[in-house]
Amino acid sequence: MDQMYAYKCTKCGKLHHPRYVVCQNPECDGREFEKLPLEGKCRLLTWTRVYNLPEGYMCPWLNFGIVEFENGVRVTGQIGFDEEIESGMELNATIGVVREKSILYKETVTAPQYGFIFQKA
Amino acid sequence: MGIIIDEMEGKLRPPSIGLKPYDAKVIPLTTGEDMLVREITYDEIPLLMETIEPLMKQPKDFYDIVASRIYAELLGMYRYRVQDEYCFVGAVDGEIAGIVNGRMVNEKVGMSYHTMTLKRGARVGAQLFAAKMEYHFDFMNQDEVWIVAESPNGFKRWMIEYELESRPQCPHELGGVPTFVLTRALWEKHKANKNVGIRPAFEEVIEANKVLHKPAKISV
Amino acid sequence: MRNVGIVGVGHTKFGKSELPFIDMVCAAALEAMDDAGAKTGNKNVINQVFVGTMGAGMVSRISGIASAVVDTLNIRPAMAETIENGPASGASAIKLGYMAIASGMCDCVLVIGAEGMRAVSGWEGTDFVATMLHPEGEYKYGLTLPAFAGLFTRLCMDKYGLESRDLSIVSVKNHANACKNPCAHIQAPVVLERITNKAYINATNPIVADPLRQYDMCPVSDGAAAVLLVAEDKKAELGFGDKKFVKIAGIGSATDTHVVANREVPSDLLAVRLSAEMAYKMAGVGPADIDVAELHDAFQILEIAESEEVGFFKRGEGHIAARNGETALNGSKPINTSGGLKAKGHPLGATGVSQVVELVRQLRGEAGERQIPDAKTGLAVNFGGFGNNVVSTILTTK
Repeated sequence: MDQMYAYKCTKCGKLHHPRYVVCQNPECDGREFEKLPLEGKCRLLTWTRVYNLPEGYMCPWLNFGIVEFENGVRVTGQIGFDEEIESGMELNATIGVVREKSILYKETVTAPQYGFIFQKA
Repeated sequence: MGIIIDEMEGKLRPPSIGLKPYDAKVIPLTTGEDMLVREITYDEIPLLMETIEPLMKQPKDFYDIVASRIYAELLGMYRYRVQDEYCFVGAVDGEIAGIVNGRMVNEKVGMSYHTMTLKRGARVGAQLFAAKMEYHFDFMNQDEVWIVAESPNGFKRWMIEYELESRPQCPHELGGVPTFVLTRALWEKHKANKNVGIRPAFEEVIEANKVLHKPAKISV
Repeated sequence: MRNVGIVGVGHTKFGKSELPFIDMVCAAALEAMDDAGAKTGNKNVINQVFVGTMGAGMVSRISGIASAVVDTLNIRPAMAETIENGPASGASAIKLGYMAIASGMCDCVLVIGAEGMRAVSGWEGTDFVATMLHPEGEYKYGLTLPAFAGLFTRLCMDKYGLESRDLSIVSVKNHANACKNPCAHIQAPVVLERITNKAYINATNPIVADPLRQYDMCPVSDGAAAVLLVAEDKKAELGFGDKKFVKIAGIGSATDTHVVANREVPSDLLAVRLSAEMAYKMAGVGPADIDVAELHDAFQILEIAESEEVGFFKRGEGHIAARNGETALNGSKPINTSGGLKAKGHPLGATGVSQVVELVRQLRGEAGERQIPDAKTGLAVNFGGFGNNVVSTILTTK
């Protein structure tokens, strides 16, 4: 699953990310969505560098950000570079492995998951 | 301890590359206290051994194995049976807050032994670990230091935070467990974040920590 | 609705619990029951027990903790449920206790909040708490609650000019308050210079989730707190006639988007604002009437943002009020006299109840060296998830 999507309500056209069960438009009660690929040009709203990562992440730190695409959809993801990160900068949303291990009950299994990694535009 | 260094004793002692002195430094703690990081003197070794002895029976957070091994290492230092071993303490108003030790294998390679925190909650362990790495790289001019950990806390703190190089083919002398290595490149990359201290150390702080004593109560 | 109030409080010393989990929960419960004079066995008058906790099942490995407690305290066949609302489990448990009595179904309810997160390592605890985040949109990335606090703090800094030093000022205040609270996890003062001086700040106060530093976030604590709720109209009959009665004047609670990126205004805490408005309306009071407040400060930025969203200060000026000392013990609007989550500690499920215990002590005049003179009305805000489920409680002796 190495493509990320926006979910478009088939009734009112509102775009969503991530997947919702019911359309988030207060005036709409739609429950069906169309998948549209989501990637590319976006703007960084805020970012952080986190040193204390959860179980399974064996790196000293990770950068994260919230971005907004031109179509208004906002997503959260990892930032794939370290230098000169600034709120407001333009980025390119790519898809990559964002988690290698998953915790299932008391076991940790290797099962890579894909998500947004934002690179310099 | 008056040992006559006769021919036999001479055969039993390790050779030395010559240890340089470590310049003491002051690390301000968040409580407003000042911690002095300095080398211990030969005569202070028995006090340190006495301080950690009760922890040899404390299994929590692996204090028992770490305390037992430090005890043996200090005893080895005291009886001249370990090559080029150093030992630093962090002390606040004379009270021992933490102990770190290690030794030189040769001019270029260091072997890190242990880090023990007695005053928890003030990042003492993290700072003393950085101080001993500072000694290996910035004072003794070595190329790399071999490191292992007995507890998960230690492992994650150092292996992850310093991005240590994994070198399982090198058996560390602490039980032959897989070795991790802090190279000069990694030290230079991380030291700005990790290593602090004010030098020269303030006179009053040096004075206050001239005579060490063990904490009245150690709670882990 | 019937008047409901608190006649007994209990609170363990937060930190690393020496007791097994159930014993810790019962220690707080019995302290509250003894405080009120409530008996066990065939003299029991408690109809219902609620235990608020996030991790009793997964972390402490005891599911149905409320059922276990009712049995070991010998107060069967009292009704019992375990309540989960993340870090707001405590206030939610109190809210449900209130509803049980106000509805007429119960007359006396024991509410306990508890958490034993120190049973697992920091990394496992961080991961468990992160399960509150959206599984695909957030958790998958390795995001954590501190990560969101960092993202939120940067938004506040960019929008309102808040500085890292302002967070440190709040932290120092909370640590000073906790030195006067025997139940607090950390009872050691912190000197502002030592956590802000650029020469050594990386050693004393390292960055954890940029721009948040170590002293901007709360510790991991075990602990339990309890309150005994009773209907005012049954108070004497049940044997609490001579006990001080602190009334629950208002409760409000509200939800916001699960995915933080989808908040309408990501630098706002809408659920805090709505829940506080609801509580004020029910209590018939406003922000100016609040004499003392416990605002959920798992991250020091939250104390500042919440102080604005509950109407104490204008939006974007909370950090200025903190700089001027207005929120200190001797200030015009004392916040977190207990030491807050920062220094008193944050056993997740216990926090909501712990905040109410502190308000009860203040309103009864039993807060010792941290007493706010003449405190009559107090507000507690308990923040669930990263602000997507917030419960506000107003107590009064007026």
